[in-house]
Amino acid sequence: MNCNKTRVLMSCALDCELSAREEEEFLKHLAECPECAAEFTEAKKTKMIIREKIVRVKAPQSLVESILRLGTHTNPQAEGSLLFDQL
Amino acid sequence: MVQGNIPGKELKPVMDTNEFSEKKKPRTGRNTLSREELKKQQEFQQEAVTHINSLYNYALHLTMNPDDAENLVQETYLKAYKFFNSFERGTNCKAWLFKILKNNYINRFRKNSREPGKVDYDLIKDFYHSIKDVRSDTSEAESDYFHSLMHEEVYQALQSLPEEFREVIQLCDIEGFTYEEIANMVESPIGTVRSRLYRGRKLLRAQLETYARKYGFNTDSEE
Repeated sequence: MNCNKTRVLMSCALDCELSAREEEEFLKHLAECPECAAEFTEAKKTKMIIREKIVRVKAPQSLVESILRLGTHTNPQAEGSLLFDQL
Repeated sequence: MVQGNIPGKELKPVMDTNEFSEKKKPRTGRNTLSREELKKQQEFQQEAVTHINSLYNYALHLTMNPDDAENLVQETYLKAYKFFNSFERGTNCKAWLFKILKNNYINRFRKNSREPGKVDYDLIKDFYHSIKDVRSDTSEAESDYFHSLMHEEVYQALQSLPEEFREVIQLCDIEGFTYEEIANMVESPIGTVRSRLYRGRKLLRAQLETYARKYGFNTDSEE
C-alpha cells in the first residue's frame, strides 16, 4: 500500500470501517512510514476533539414527558395531525 | 392492530431511564388501552424513547433553535410511534429515528436554511445562549457541560463546513453510527460517505488547528 491509498483509508481506519485485509495493509504501511503514522495520530486527535468538545444537552423534561404519553391518547390532537403528514 | 415481533434481544437503554419506568403504565382511569397497545407502548419506550437526548441534540444542530428542535423531536416521535409496527425489529432503532427526523427536517425547515458554507456566527452565539437557558431549567450543573461551553470554536469549525461534510462527521463522530447506517440515512452509497468523511475531516482539521494549539492539543507529531 502506498501513501496516497493509506491517506484515503485513514478516515475509515479511525472508524474501524476497514476490511480485515485493508486493515492489515494499512497497519503494515503505518509501521513502515513515519509520515503516514504521524498523520494518523493527528487524524485521531481531530476525531477526539469533536467527540469531547461538542456540547451535549439533555432534552427538556416537558418534551420527554410528552413523548412518554404517546399512545395513551392524552394528546389526540397532535396524533391526529399526523394524518396530513407522510413518513 | 396486531403487534409485531418482540425483538429477540433485550436492548439495554443507553441512558438512565429510571425516570421513565414509573410512567410506563397509563394512569388510573385511562386503562382503555388494549393489551397490544400497551405492549407497543412499553416496547416503544424501551427501544425508541431511550434515544431522545441524541435526537434532541441532532435536532438542535440542524435547526439551531431549541423551539424548532423540540417540535422536530416531537413530530419525529409521533411518526415513529404511529409507524412503530413497521420498524424492523433487531435493526438499529436510533438510526431509524434519525432518518425520520432528518426527513421531517427536510420537509419543514430546509427551505429556510442558510446557504452551504455560509456561517452566521451571531446565530451560533445565540444558539449557545439559548441552550444555556434550556439547560438552566434542569438545575443540574454538570461541570463538564460548562467546560464544553467554552468550546464554541469547535462548534463553529464544524458549522463552517459545507453541510454534506458536516452531516457525516456529526453522524459518525458524535452519534457513532456505522458507515452503512449513515449511507442509509443520507441516501448515498457507502463510498460517498467514506469520501465525504475523508474530505470533511481534512477541512475540519485545517479549521481546528489554530484552536487546537490554543487549548493545548498538540497538533505537531509527537513521534
